[in-house]
Amino acid sequence: MSTAPTATSGAGAEGPVPPPRASMPTGTADVPGADVGTDSAGWPAGVPVAEPTEPVVAEVEPGRVRWDPAERRARASQSFWTALVGVPAIFSVLRLGVEAGGELQTTLLLVANVGPVNLLAGFVTTAARLLSTGMVAVFALGAVLAVSADRLPPGTRRRPLFARWADITPAWVVLASFLLALITWPLLYLPLLLPAFVAAFQLRPERLHERATPRVLLILALLAGYGWLMLPTLRDAVEQGGERLVLALIVVPPLLALFIAGPLPGMVIRPLASLTEVAVLAMLVWAALPVISTPVLPLTVTTVGVENGPTEDVRGHVVTTDDVNMVILQERGGVRYVPVDLVRAQVLCPSEEELPRHRLRIHDFHVEDSLLEGMGRRVRPVHRIDAACRAPG
Amino acid sequence: MNVVTSQSRLRAVATTLAVALTLTLAAAAGCDSRREPDLPSVQEKLRETHIYGQSKLRIGVATNEPLMGELRNGQHVGFDVEIGRYVAASLGYEGDQRLEFVSVSTEDRIPALQGGTVDLVVSSFSMTEDRKKLVSFAGPYLVTTQEVMVSTRLKDKIRTIEDLRDPAYRICTSGGSTTEAELEKHQVKTFVVKDVGDCVDGIRKGRYDAVSSDESILAGFLASFPKEFEIVDMPFGTSELLGVGVPIGDPALRDLVAFFLQKSYEQGRDGQASPWQTAYNRTLGPWLRAEKRQPQPLEVPKLVDFDDKAPRR
Repeated sequence: MSTAPTATSGAGAEGPVPPPRASMPTGTADVPGADVGTDSAGWPAGVPVAEPTEPVVAEVEPGRVRWDPAERRARASQSFWTALVGVPAIFSVLRLGVEAGGELQTTLLLVANVGPVNLLAGFVTTAARLLSTGMVAVFALGAVLAVSADRLPPGTRRRPLFARWADITPAWVVLASFLLALITWPLLYLPLLLPAFVAAFQLRPERLHERATPRVLLILALLAGYGWLMLPTLRDAVEQGGERLVLALIVVPPLLALFIAGPLPGMVIRPLASLTEVAVLAMLVWAALPVISTPVLPLTVTTVGVENGPTEDVRGHVVTTDDVNMVILQERGGVRYVPVDLVRAQVLCPSEEELPRHRLRIHDFHVEDSLLEGMGRRVRPVHRIDAACRAPG
Repeated sequence: MNVVTSQSRLRAVATTLAVALTLTLAAAAGCDSRREPDLPSVQEKLRETHIYGQSKLRIGVATNEPLMGELRNGQHVGFDVEIGRYVAASLGYEGDQRLEFVSVSTEDRIPALQGGTVDLVVSSFSMTEDRKKLVSFAGPYLVTTQEVMVSTRLKDKIRTIEDLRDPAYRICTSGGSTTEAELEKHQVKTFVVKDVGDCVDGIRKGRYDAVSSDESILAGFLASFPKEFEIVDMPFGTSELLGVGVPIGDPALRDLVAFFLQKSYEQGRDGQASPWQTAYNRTLGPWLRAEKRQPQPLEVPKLVDFDDKAPRR
């Protein structure tokens, strides 16, 4: 919101020379700065007015800037981006402390050896799912509350928080968070994205076709396609028994997507807004705990021992290796400095948190894999678990 | 006007329900993602076994059954040994430092398991109902039949079970084997020795005329002395299911061995190079008259493992 373009547009409106930026928002003409510029000048038309910024601000300040929606929006956006960059940075450092087992010296060892870029990349890998979940939840709920806000009982001053957040967020950010969710969520939970997406963009079935019959046919065709995709998985889930949640997660969301767009009755908006604000916060905290405790460094088993002598398996995370020692943060705690000459072998191991909970696949993609992970497994299809990984830690 | 209002009210209720259900489902999904797996995992089973934490795994094998289990230049080789190595590696015991092969004779297989001198027995161990009362079995990993091997000079004289009953011929077999019981059922008088190898030695020295045992064991001796012996196909009618013997008090270990045999079976069925197929091709394969495939193991538990998410095709 600088004064220079405002002055130009003001001058252009008076003289015969067309304004150089025709696409400037018309609202800027109302800004007091513009009036000051044109009034005081008496300059030839088309010559930009070099106006000092100070007097303008001084004139605007009393009482008006605080309520300027554009200004507020800019501030909100600023704090949003600060949070988006700052939260991962703080989380990453906190994770190091947890990874070190709460020991100060071990934390310092990790800080000294884990680069900030590695740390941030590691964080993004493990937290992308949480981040996208939070954003999708906020935007979907925000859009539902925003569209219902005019039904709020009279006398209600403020719109719900999520509605305001959804208002100030550009559509591309919403779309990007849905795309991030699409590639990072486990396939089993992806159907939930359907109602969330429909709610976030308030896509009512009427948007498909204006006439009822083609609309119903289109919806039926879409549901049939979805059914074709999911039918083998549904059959397996029924055969395996006891997978009621899986059945509900696959079958129900597409049906919910048909009804979810639209305003809510006035009486539920307030409770829903407060409840979901608390729920989303609780969800973020609850889901953040495993993210904080996810290891930063990969898990390995290092076989240590002298030539032709007995060997020992050290299970842990390799912090660093130099000419003399390999520094291993053991899985159960404690740091081992293993002389490099004694290292016989080293293998990468999966951790027990990666064990699947379901035995279901959607067209050969495991339901607990995200699209990204599933595609990765197609690039390197053979998964070998080394014998050393089975050894007790 | 009234119709429009009630329609929009209905719509609002539907929307409320949809929002509430979506939130409920999302919450349920969130709880599900933090739940412990229902199915037992390989790692959990491993913790239940008696071998967990042991520095070495001891596997009982034969040392004088060519192609199946043999000690050659101080190295244990053979199909049973290779299967043992695969099972051991799957259980976390890979390499000679962590694996000990213990020589067990045919009759010592059950006492060795009961006495705890070995953790597993992979030694042409037929799964029978009687033995299942004393030890557990995982498998089968090979289905074979009972055959008779005669010295070349007698190949035209001993052709049927009836010929075996002829007191003129001295039939030898190993003690404590299923063959011994089978021959007894057919009223064939036998000379019972410790191992099939002793029978083969005896025939070469003229003490016996024929030896009866599993096709796979006999094929090994035929491979060692191809000019001296011949296998005669006789209709004994029973098939021998060879399994891995496990102490009866360790059902977790039995389940794990069965699980890993099944894993190899599935790999082979999908047309990949399975550990079983590799072992077979390196040992028995070239010497058997009819090609064999890995049989499907029985009573395989459902376990989850780290590689469950890998693509199947």
